[in-house]
Amino acid sequence: MKTNTRKTFVALVLAVLTVNAVHAAGDDFKSVVKMIEQFYGVKHEGLPFLAKAGMKVASTAARIKGGQARRFAEAGSIKLAVFENQEFAGEVTRFRASLNGALTTTWMPLIQTLSATNEEQNYVFLKSAGDKYNVLVVNISQREATVVQVTISEKNLALLLKDPEGAGKAITEEATINDQE
Amino acid sequence: MTSLFQRSIGQPLIVFGLILAAALVAQAQDSRIQMSSLDHLAAKASQTVDVNIDERLVRIAAKLLSDKDEDEREAKKLVTGLKGIYVKSFEFDNSGEYTQADVEAIRAQLRGPNWSRLVNVTSRKEGNLEVYLLMNGEQIGGLAVLHTDEKELTIVNLVGPVDLDKLAKLEGQFGIPNLEIEQSKPKTKNDQK
Repeated sequence: MKTNTRKTFVALVLAVLTVNAVHAAGDDFKSVVKMIEQFYGVKHEGLPFLAKAGMKVASTAARIKGGQARRFAEAGSIKLAVFENQEFAGEVTRFRASLNGALTTTWMPLIQTLSATNEEQNYVFLKSAGDKYNVLVVNISQREATVVQVTISEKNLALLLKDPEGAGKAITEEATINDQE
Repeated sequence: MTSLFQRSIGQPLIVFGLILAAALVAQAQDSRIQMSSLDHLAAKASQTVDVNIDERLVRIAAKLLSDKDEDEREAKKLVTGLKGIYVKSFEFDNSGEYTQADVEAIRAQLRGPNWSRLVNVTSRKEGNLEVYLLMNGEQIGGLAVLHTDEKELTIVNLVGPVDLDKLAKLEGQFGIPNLEIEQSKPKTKNDQK
């Protein structure tokens, strides 16, 4: 009886460890998109131009504070998911807790701005990737949301740190706005 | 015999060493203010800002901001030596959304033995400003700013060697809000006339 209990316990521990390992090794970008979909009962859009966003990085530009244009993302590194005209009602702090719970073991929360009354949420997470950094930017408003993951150089990380809110917005713009310049 | 000696003297030494190491670590972390007790306010706030820039990130900023660009050079100078920048700020639509107990949870940490409040510091913004400095001997170990207004609560915590002048220059950068801090000059006899 004792042996069976021990075996069950060991199996459970192994199962938990495996799930955690899969989660840690998995694609956090996809996990966050899925989390938003499940939490708010929404679906992200697979617009054709979005798939090209990563390749079009050379023709995209971000506007940061002061009107200066600066590219943050390394070429081809942009991952983007967009949610449009859907309901992201309430639960701002509960969603924040879920997101932090899922990401903060592997990602560092750099800046989070929330508005419970206006139902707006902005998150910037960081993770080192060799000599570069991955940046995950999540913006959720009442009717729209975007999730962007980019890889940036250490030099651009320094600029991101100098103006985390502005640079977070710039990264989202860089991924979503096709500059006609 | 040797083994008995090792057990009787060695173990207490190890325990003492561990306690000493823990105490040193605790002292080194003293200037980091715990702000998680305020997290519940986010549910009521019209705007919540939470910034976490740890030592590793500060070092990257200090290393990689350009010396050629004037703006970056200035920022680089300011963050060099810092060990962390932490900000938590809440804005509310109505007054009375946070309690004195919320503020007290922060103030209680700033009553620690090495913290002292700077009295000659004011803000051009409305509300009450409290600035605290952590001294480790002759060295500044950190700085904390508590700004309270009827509809606003902001805590800025800079870990590492930093002075008020540096803080004032850092406002608006690295997620630090613009608190419009100014150091008032001590009153002279002529001022009092």
